Amino acid sequence: MKLTNGRRPLILLVEDDVCAARGLARMLHDDGFDVERASDGAAAMVRLGQTPLPDALITDLYVPHVDGLTVARFARTQNPSIPAIVVTSHVELVNTRSEPMMPAPTVLAKPLDYDHLTEVLHALLPRRAA
Amino acid sequence: METRFDELKRYVRFTDDDAHRLSVLRAVAAPHFQQIAQEFYERIREHEDANAVLTGEEQVARLQRSLVVWLERLLSGRYDERYFEQTQQIGRVHVKVGLPQRYMFTAMSVIRASLTAIASAAAQADPKADAREALSRILDLELAIMVEGYREDMIARVKHVAETEREVLSKRALRAEQRYVNAVELADAMMIALSADGKVLLFNKQAERVTGYARDEALGRDLAELVLPPELQEVQKDVFRRGTNGAAPTIELPLRTRAGKIREARWRVLPLPAAAVPNATDDDVELFAMGYDVTDERAERQRAQQQERLAAVGTLAAGLAHEIRNPLNGAQLHVSFLERALKKTPANDEALEAVGIVRDEIKRLARLVTDFLDFARPRPLTPIETSVVTLCQRVMQLVSPHATGSVVLRLDLPTTDIHLSADKDRLEQVFLNLLQNAIEAVVPKGGTVVLRARRQPRHAWIEVEDDGPGLPPGNAPVFDAFFSTKPNGTGLGLAIAHRVVTDHGGTIDVNSKPGETRFRVVLPLSIQGAAE
Repeated sequence: MKLTNGRRPLILLVEDDVCAARGLARMLHDDGFDVERASDGAAAMVRLGQTPLPDALITDLYVPHVDGLTVARFARTQNPSIPAIVVTSHVELVNTRSEPMMPAPTVLAKPLDYDHLTEVLHALLPRRAA
Repeated sequence: METRFDELKRYVRFTDDDAHRLSVLRAVAAPHFQQIAQEFYERIREHEDANAVLTGEEQVARLQRSLVVWLERLLSGRYDERYFEQTQQIGRVHVKVGLPQRYMFTAMSVIRASLTAIASAAAQADPKADAREALSRILDLELAIMVEGYREDMIARVKHVAETEREVLSKRALRAEQRYVNAVELADAMMIALSADGKVLLFNKQAERVTGYARDEALGRDLAELVLPPELQEVQKDVFRRGTNGAAPTIELPLRTRAGKIREARWRVLPLPAAAVPNATDDDVELFAMGYDVTDERAERQRAQQQERLAAVGTLAAGLAHEIRNPLNGAQLHVSFLERALKKTPANDEALEAVGIVRDEIKRLARLVTDFLDFARPRPLTPIETSVVTLCQRVMQLVSPHATGSVVLRLDLPTTDIHLSADKDRLEQVFLNLLQNAIEAVVPKGGTVVLRARRQPRHAWIEVEDDGPGLPPGNAPVFDAFFSTKPNGTGLGLAIAHRVVTDHGGTIDVNSKPGETRFRVVLPLSIQGAAE
C-alpha cells in the first residue's frame, strides 16, 4: 500500500516473541508495509526518539522493560495522531488499566487474526486513493 | 412503784423541805420574773443557731410570757407527776422547734445565775430559808427531764434513718440484680446454669431462641438429655457435669432443637470457683454452660473458603489463558504465512486443506480459552427485573432436547410469579448446568427431573431435583472447580453455578441420597447489598 505522500507505510512492531514477530513482519512486508522491529519496550522508545518516525505502531502489551501502553503513550508524544495497535491476551485488562488516551489505541486479542490486523491498518493509515 | 420522777428526785435528794424553800423563794423572786425572761431571750438572740428558732417579736413576747409561767411553776412548791409531765412536754417542744441541745444547758445556766443571785440575796436576809441548794436540784431535774426529749428524738431519728437506708440498700441490690439479669438475657450466648448433676437451673433468652425450649420446659431437666442428639447422649453425658471440664475447654457439639433440627453449638462449661458455693446443696448452681450457635458462622466460613478457592481458580485461569494465547498467536501467524505461501504454489490442495484444519483448530482452541475465562473470571453482574416463572420455563425448554428416552421433566412453579433483580443470562446458565447434571444422572436408567420454584418473604428458592443414584457419599466438594464425577466433565459447571449464585448474594446447597438429589438455589429478591 502507499501513503498519501507515496511512500510505503513504516510500521514499528514491538514484540518479544521473535518467532511470531518474524512471521508477522514477513507478511506485512509482502502486503506493502515496511517493518522495523523492537524486541522490548525500551528499545521501541529509543527508536521512537529517532527519525523517520514510524507511521504506525503495533505493540504487544507485555514486553520487557516498558509495557506496550506506555510505548503507545510515548509514541503519541512524538506524533499525536500516530495509529497505535496494542496486541494482548488480556483484552479486558487493557480496558481497565489504560488511562484515557486520545484517540484510544486499538486493542486486538491474541491469537492475532492477520486479515483483521491489515483491515485495521488500512482503516487507520491516511491512504492515497488507489 | 417508784416513778421516773421520784427516782430522779431521790438521786439528787430532793425533799419536801426543798419544795418548801422553793415556794418561799417564789415570793421574793416573782417580781423579777419578767426581767429574767427578757434577759433570757436577749441572750438567745446573740446566738445564731439558738436565734434560728425565733420567728418574730410577737412570738418572743409570747415565749417570754411562757417563761414567766414556767418560772412560777418552777417555784410553785408542787413537784408531782403532773409537774413531771409538763416538763417533759416543754422538753419535747424544744426538740420540735429544733433548738440545738447545747442551748438547753446554756439557757438553763442563764436562769440559774439569775435565780441564784435572788436566792443568795434572800439567804442573806433569812439564812434559814436558804433555797440555793434546792434551786440547784430542781433546775438539774428540769434539765434532766427536758434533755430526755432529745434522746427520744434521737432514737426515732436513728430508727428512721436505719429504715430508709435499708430501703435504699434493698432497692440497690434489686437494681444490681436486675442489671445482671438484663446482661444475661441480652447476651447472644446461651447461658445455662447447672447443678452438680447437670440439671438446668437458669436458662437465658438466647438459650430459648437456639434450642426452642421455653424456660419453664428447660428448668430442672438434664441439659445433655435436653439438647444433645440421642446418639450422643451416652457418649457425651458428662459434658455438662462437674469435674470433667476442669480447664473449661471449648467443645463443639451438635445441638438438637425442640423441633428436632440439628444445629452446631460451641460450648464452654465453667465450674464456679469453690468459694462461690461454700455449702453446696443439690439446688445450687455449680457450673455455667455457655454456648454459641455456630451453625451460620460455620456455613459462612465454608462459603468464604469456597469463594477464595474460586477466586484462586479465576486467577489461575487468567494466567493459563495468557500462557496459551501467546504460543497460539505465534502458531496462528505462521499458519497464515504458510497458507499464503501454499496458495502461491498450484496443485497443493491437500497441503492447503491440512493447513486450513490447523488454522481452524487454533481458532477453536482460542475460543475455548476465551469461554473458559468468561466462566472462571468474576464479571460484574448486570441485574435486570427477572421473572422466575419465565426463567424456569425457558431453561426447561432449552434442556428438553437432552431429555431422551424415559427421562421425565417436570416444572413445579408457583401460581404467582416471583420477580427478582438478577443477571438473567447468568442465572439461566446456572439452571442449565444444574438441569443438565440432573438429566445426565437419570438418563442411564430413566427417571424424573423436577424444576421447582417457591417464594419466601425476602427470597426466592429454585431447586432442581432428580431421582438418580445420588452423589457419592461423604462431603464431596461438588462446588469446587475441576471436581467432577463424570468421565467427560470439566468440573466447572457447578463451580460456575456457585459463583454466579453467590455473586447474586444467594446460596446454593445440595442434599443428596440415593434416589433423591436436590440442588437448591436461594436468591434474594433484591440484589441490593449483595453485589460487592
